[in-house]
Amino acid sequence: MKIHIFYCSNCLDTDALRKQLEINGNGQGDHQIQTVSLPCSGKVNLLYLLKAFEKGSDGVLLVTCEHGECKFLEGNLRARKRAKAVESMLEEAGLGKGRMIVVRKSEEGIGQITAALEQLTDNILQDTERSQE
Amino acid sequence: MIVAERKTIPELVDILEGHKKILVLGCGTCVTVCLAGGEREVSIISSALRIASRAKNLSFEIEELTIERQCDNVFIEEAAKAVERNDVVLSLGCGAGVQAIAERYLEKPVYAGLNTAFIGILEERGIWAEKCAACGACVLDQYGGICPITRCAKHMLNGPCGGSREDRCEVRPDRPCGWQLIYQRLKGIGQLDRLKRIVPPKNWAPSLGGGCRVIVREDHRI
Ligand code: SF4
Ligand code: SF4
Repeated sequence: MKIHIFYCSNCLDTDALRKQLEINGNGQGDHQIQTVSLPCSGKVNLLYLLKAFEKGSDGVLLVTCEHGECKFLEGNLRARKRAKAVESMLEEAGLGKGRMIVVRKSEEGIGQITAALEQLTDNILQDTERSQE
Repeated sequence: MIVAERKTIPELVDILEGHKKILVLGCGTCVTVCLAGGEREVSIISSALRIASRAKNLSFEIEELTIERQCDNVFIEEAAKAVERNDVVLSLGCGAGVQAIAERYLEKPVYAGLNTAFIGILEERGIWAEKCAACGACVLDQYGGICPITRCAKHMLNGPCGGSREDRCEVRPDRPCGWQLIYQRLKGIGQLDRLKRIVPPKNWAPSLGGGCRVIVREDHRI
């Protein structure tokens, strides 16, 4: 599976994420994960996300700060709304639900991302099976 | 400006199915400002169509281009080569733009990718509202610059219908009563007296009643 992770660099440490993904990569095998660091999750727009899917991504994870934690005040709120708009466009285009997940990064640590990643890959598998029925 | 919104991807797929080389053509004027058909929306819609094409095995080949203004022949010329290269044009201009492109490129199917909605303005971030219905005989001067045709749900010309609650319209509770606005505005500019005049029924002949409306300016025709 090909997966893109767009993340706000204020709430997620690039090195920690890479390290964690390497571990997961070894454990899970063949997912191709590409990370895209953003100065704020509000930098993400519809086109960034759609382009990921257009270029073959099976699912996208968008990591934002918690409510009230955005350095630019409302970047995380905008990011969430844009992700929602993209999700409905993907549905219109014939891809199923659940291929776009937004994670609000809390203090829980990097494990939250791994859990979301698992959820995303499950969703993709289910959607692929549904479309083949 | 003219305000429009995109058709859904299934609607566009329905329109384009059976065609291969598609030019998605944006317009750099009104529809850019209302975030419906400018360069960015051309990319977004094209991207969604490529995804749909893959999901539905449609083999669309999509080219993107945005010209300054689709309703003006001077700018339409700039699209000539791209139109020639493609089988069809999906125009993201307003209804006038789509028709101008179709009139210029007679041999190509030209489809509308947007629903042209109204003449309006951006009221606040992400909210556009109708302000003018191009009725052809403007009465704004009598109502303090607030249009009773578009901003009163019943197009009342001689005062409110009486159904408003607080300042809200009874037909559209999400919108202010147009007549409340007219009253406040006329009061503010010291012209409340205008409301004492009985306004006769509006002449709708210059509106959509008589077929295509045309304005001829002889002084500009030589
Ligand atoms: S009166 Fe007619 S022309 Fe004037 S703003 Fe209203 S709809 Fe437009
Ligand atoms: S409530 Fe006001 S805006 Fe609504 S229909 Fe009545 S007069 Fe018109």
